[in-house]
Amino acid sequence: MDIINNLAFGFQHALTLSNLMYCVAGCVLGTIVGLLPGLGPLATISVLLPLTYSMPLVGALIMMAGIYYGAMYGESVSAITMRIAHSSSIVMCIDGYQMSQKGKTGLALFTAGLSSFIGGTVAIFVLAALAPQLGEFALKFGPADYCALMLLGFVCVSFFTTGSLVNGFTMCMLGVLLGQVGGDINTGVQRFTFNLPFLSDGLSIVSLSLGCFGIAEITNNLGRKVQNTPFSGKIKLMPTWAEFKRIIPSALRGSVVGSILGIIPGGGPVLAQFGAYAMDRKLSKYRDEMGQGAIEGVAAPAAADEAAARTAFIPLMSLGIPETATTALMLAAFIIKGVHPGPNMIVDHPDLFWGLVASMWIGNCFLLALNVPMVRMWLSLFKIPYSVLFPAILFFCCVGTFSANRNLQDIYVTGMFGALGYVFFRLGMDPAPLMLGFILGPMLEEYFRRALLMSEGNFGIFLESPISATLLALTSLFILWQIVKTFSGKKSKKANPALELQAPNDA
Amino acid sequence: MTNRNVVRAAFVIAVALSFSIGSLRYSIGTFAHAGPGLFPLVISTIVLLLGVISLIQSRYEDPVQMTFAIRGFAIILTSFCGFAAVSYFIGMAAGIVFMVFCASLAGSSFSWSRSLKIAAALLVVALLMNKVLNLDLPLY
Repeated sequence: MDIINNLAFGFQHALTLSNLMYCVAGCVLGTIVGLLPGLGPLATISVLLPLTYSMPLVGALIMMAGIYYGAMYGESVSAITMRIAHSSSIVMCIDGYQMSQKGKTGLALFTAGLSSFIGGTVAIFVLAALAPQLGEFALKFGPADYCALMLLGFVCVSFFTTGSLVNGFTMCMLGVLLGQVGGDINTGVQRFTFNLPFLSDGLSIVSLSLGCFGIAEITNNLGRKVQNTPFSGKIKLMPTWAEFKRIIPSALRGSVVGSILGIIPGGGPVLAQFGAYAMDRKLSKYRDEMGQGAIEGVAAPAAADEAAARTAFIPLMSLGIPETATTALMLAAFIIKGVHPGPNMIVDHPDLFWGLVASMWIGNCFLLALNVPMVRMWLSLFKIPYSVLFPAILFFCCVGTFSANRNLQDIYVTGMFGALGYVFFRLGMDPAPLMLGFILGPMLEEYFRRALLMSEGNFGIFLESPISATLLALTSLFILWQIVKTFSGKKSKKANPALELQAPNDA
Repeated sequence: MTNRNVVRAAFVIAVALSFSIGSLRYSIGTFAHAGPGLFPLVISTIVLLLGVISLIQSRYEDPVQMTFAIRGFAIILTSFCGFAAVSYFIGMAAGIVFMVFCASLAGSSFSWSRSLKIAAALLVVALLMNKVLNLDLPLY
């Protein structure tokens, strides 16, 4: 009953006119960036992060969450109609595109829309039920446990976003190092600032994210010169009853898999859709059709990535520890607004937490209404050439950087990080784990130092607590598995055709 | 041919070393009472190790050709920093126009009329941002 009461309370906050507007804005923006190649939710949230300074707290977060899960819808549309693989729609390119080739584009789009709706709805109940419980459990967390949790997150994110543990973990740790610039939290000593005034408060999150994801992304996309032909086939949306019956069980299975995989560190939508697809290949009655345009091949991953995009908020809001790069940027938005997510947030800011949860379901309805009947209008977006888009993105980067502190000099700093982002890109280094490391770095240092202060320098404290010991054991197992895999030379990717497609970077 | 994996490992090692040496300038303390230099030293040592592992790995992996496409990047960076300079001396409206025209040079084709339309549209967006989001951009 508590959940119902709390959700009703959340709807009261989410259904105000301004919050509804932010929700629609987030969903529409999310769908657009999901559809268009070269722009992901991570880049968009980076670009819009500074604009949240001038927005009300709940509205800003509702909009950013809308961009995140709205992008999942948009990505599935471009995967089905044009086989454009974004981060969270790689699996959809297999069966979705096959369905499209067989003239069942409408059915595939309807399946993706409905399954996403089911996935989102299931995940919201999981979020509403689990986040407060986990928040209460998180009160038992000590500094050593938080350290171990962050480490597990780093290792998992590193592997799942880059595919290489060494490269990804290096980026995470580089991010932690960049987070060290500025005043030391305990002694106030200025570290690595070279007496430059703009470094005394640490590197600006806005400049770093805009540099790495805004400027560097634009340069990256300019080099690609890929021309997309807009989709022009027929779209018949309504399925037959027999087809409809195939969607539901598969979407429900996908929702469960997605909800679970969204919570685990480094999981998020990318892992969720692979998991759901693999599960349906084993459990579905129609598994023989998978890979050749089966409804299940669309329904399961669509439900899973939408569910995971929502349950990824559970570790962020109940533990205060984001487990993906995108939720790390959301954490930055929370902190900019003076709210520190964590065990006490649900009690201290119930309007924020429940309002956000309720808005996710409202966003779900908007997305269903926006995307399924109006899909042809969205597809016309592909007629916009990139040469029109990138000056606009650059404009938002400029205005965003300026408006964070109302300082034109910050733009040069962002330009500097753009150069760094460009170097990363040329060296094949993924900036997504860097962002996670950068945002969590100061927290990691604080908990690390506090844990060792409590144990008087004894590292045994990390093994004494059962939570920390379990998390560290999981981390070690994961690393060990990677080492064994590297030396045995077996590539498990080959076992599943879906996994043969490489996962791009934004988790 | 420049092997990207080797350059990457060298870059990581260089960054790690500069942070390690930098952190030695601050008090290290003990693990029980950490000084400001301890944590960066620990992390930069880990990064250094990872860099060395990458370097070893790169000897056993197929080399990847490293490419540069500096023109596009230079134009984008110039338009970005030019926006700040023009906004400072003239006003943000002029900065937006400069940025759009300069950045458009990086695209596959340049068109005066298209750039003019984009600049006009972005000026309207900037005005709306001032009105709706109260950003108070110094447009002129």
